[in-house]
Amino acid sequence: MSMQLTQILAEVAPHFDGYVYPNEAGTHPLWGVLIVLYPYITGLVAGAFIMASLVRVFRVKALEPVYRLSLLTALAFLLCATLPLLCHLGHPERSYQIMITPHLTSPMAIFGFVYAWYLMAVLLLELWFDFREDFVKWGQTEPGLRGFIYRTLTVGVTDVSDKAIALDHKLSWIISIIGIPSAFLLHGYVGFIFGSIKANPWWGNAIMPIIFILSAMVSGIALCIFIYMVLTWLRRRALDVRCLDVMGMFLFYALVIDATVEALDLIHRAYSAQEGFYVMEYMAQERLFYTLTIGQMLMGTLFPLLVLGALQVARKFIAGTVRTTLYFTCSVCILLGVLAMRWNVVMGGQFFSKSLRGVMSYKLEFAGAEGWLLGLILLSLPFIILTVLIKLFLSESLPTSGHIPHRIDNP
Amino acid sequence: MRFFHLPPQIFRLVILIFAIVVSYLVARTLLTPDSFRDTGFYRGAALAEHTEAHQPVFAGKKACGERHPKVIATLTKGGHKTLSCEGCHGVVSQEHLKDPDSKMIKPTEKVCLRCHEASPSRPAWFKQIIVKDHYSEKCIECHLPHEPNEVQ
Amino acid sequence: MLATFGGVFAGLLALPAARALKKKFRKSPAPNGYDARQHKWLMCIDVDKCIGCGLCADACKSENHVPEAPHFFRTWIERYIIKKPAPDSTAVRGEVEVDSPNGGRGGFPPTLVPRDEILKSFFVPKLCNLCEASPCTQVCPVGATFDTPDGAVLVDPTYCIGCGFCIQACPYGCRFLSPVTKTAEKCTLCYHRITRGLRPACVDICPTQARVFGDLKNPLENDPLQAFVQKNKVNTLKPHLGTNPRVLYANLDKEVR
Repeated sequence: MSMQLTQILAEVAPHFDGYVYPNEAGTHPLWGVLIVLYPYITGLVAGAFIMASLVRVFRVKALEPVYRLSLLTALAFLLCATLPLLCHLGHPERSYQIMITPHLTSPMAIFGFVYAWYLMAVLLLELWFDFREDFVKWGQTEPGLRGFIYRTLTVGVTDVSDKAIALDHKLSWIISIIGIPSAFLLHGYVGFIFGSIKANPWWGNAIMPIIFILSAMVSGIALCIFIYMVLTWLRRRALDVRCLDVMGMFLFYALVIDATVEALDLIHRAYSAQEGFYVMEYMAQERLFYTLTIGQMLMGTLFPLLVLGALQVARKFIAGTVRTTLYFTCSVCILLGVLAMRWNVVMGGQFFSKSLRGVMSYKLEFAGAEGWLLGLILLSLPFIILTVLIKLFLSESLPTSGHIPHRIDNP
Repeated sequence: MRFFHLPPQIFRLVILIFAIVVSYLVARTLLTPDSFRDTGFYRGAALAEHTEAHQPVFAGKKACGERHPKVIATLTKGGHKTLSCEGCHGVVSQEHLKDPDSKMIKPTEKVCLRCHEASPSRPAWFKQIIVKDHYSEKCIECHLPHEPNEVQ
Repeated sequence: MLATFGGVFAGLLALPAARALKKKFRKSPAPNGYDARQHKWLMCIDVDKCIGCGLCADACKSENHVPEAPHFFRTWIERYIIKKPAPDSTAVRGEVEVDSPNGGRGGFPPTLVPRDEILKSFFVPKLCNLCEASPCTQVCPVGATFDTPDGAVLVDPTYCIGCGFCIQACPYGCRFLSPVTKTAEKCTLCYHRITRGLRPACVDICPTQARVFGDLKNPLENDPLQAFVQKNKVNTLKPHLGTNPRVLYANLDKEVR
């Protein structure tokens, strides 16, 4: 290769400022939108489940109207959680290898087992124990395909005596307790995947898994508020404002803890200013301005903190309809803000070079294997699945069981 | 036969769990590649496969020396003794191996200047020239590439 | 019923037992009688000898058929230009400019920094650091990348799932995802050459012997690697990360990352 051609190439390379390692100087980041979505989805699952466990384990009676909805939301999102990963792999047809020869020193290797455990041993079991009595009843009363589905889901167990129901409740309670650390593991290991990478100072620290779990809880509660309000509005029913107030309260306190820990991370970085701080600061200002400062900090944290905080203090003076509008706005802001946070973590870590001397400017395409379009499709899939689940298990036309009311509308 | 009396929910679940665990263990045994864990946590066969899958491209100085011992002997005496033949003459082509009379690349001035053009980044001990200040633009007018210490 | 269960269970246990037995009697095939356990290869770099000709980067591309586009490198050269400090500053060294146009292939174009502003300048070849505690093999979820018994770090292209975790975990930027095979790729220490008694292509082609290669288990007479470690004070890249790189750099400046 002649010197002249090398010179031309050196001038034409548009994709970075400063110096980046040659292997980093490509046009697209290695981990794209799909890897941003995966922690977002598992975070929503973990958060929605924690919301549900508030009812079962901590016996917060006010949240009962959303108990089953939270569990079904968690299930709908969990069923879609593997899709972004499969779409991202260079060889998805070899993905089974992660369960056949899991390399136990790799946090990614526990994915298959944690996912299977959480889906089967926690979520499906808890749902089954809660719905079992209804499956038996609905299996007898509902016609056609629906009846067949309910009868299959009873797994042949038709005992609905008081003793059996009491056992169901007890087992459901035990599973909820096991489910809380399981939910933390399901999402915490993703945070650890990033936290364990010492090569990347944006990712590699001990606080990363904690930040992931806390923001997951926040996003999960916000999702439950959002779905509850949308569903109730679609059904033209009255909202249970007290339930919303309690959800809003948990959301506020979760957000306070989350914001504190995230702020601690930033303050510590700026204060200790270790090697690489200046390139990361430059990267965050140049490449992450809209998603970090505007999206995550202002819209996703500061605004909801102020509004929810005001609602905690001045709840009595604010009308119910205003409160519900504010809860809705806050939950949307938080959902977008946490998505922005996942973007900032995943992409922020790739926008600066490991040489600590350069910042890349990757293109993010719309269509294509790692494009926005695929991301939007994958993100809308859980909502479609949730619609089906609601039609099957939370339909208003179904008779409910006699014990604790789980319907989301107020009779 | 009396079992320890399990409630019906638990009994069915235990059977289901057992079936799942056993299927997983069987699948794992069947699907793990043969040579896995032979020398470490990887497919042991990958080591040999790696060698077999790739044939060397560059022949190396020793291979050239087997056919051109006089050139190597000359080279070893002078400042270019650490150079490899293929650095200047290009990769030993299949053509050259089959028909030794077919010539290898004859290096031009560009090849010499690739190393010897002066640059502030090159170490001081290394002989460098600024072309336009040098005696001639054609290196071999004065220099013998295999005996660079001799000047004609 | 218990008997049926027991029978099924025993039958299923027979499968792994048979496999384990089979393993005992099978040897992993070795290429041409090469025994990986008899060798321990290492490459070291003398920074003061590198003249930035880029022959090594070109040789590696040809030897290993590395994908051309957009641009991937198993080895590359960086040029460091340390400028003189500004006249009114109390700093002893000025700004540092680093570049690696096309990885150094074809040599480096002349720098735009005027000569009288340059305090110090040098070239640094980069490659896989052959870490003792490689973070890349640690994070592979399926065991597709591994440390060989003889000192190289390889990727099994038929087993890699292309997740990219190893590429993120390497602090030295020496890995990339091949657009052709959709698996991770990196410097293999020219494994296909060293198992055939040859040296890596970059070592062979280097005109100044800046790259020093040898077998720690079978040192030659006047072994260049032994001479290197006896003569030089050495450094490694990013030692604070604890990866314990085996590739030693002689005369490495503090600015090199």
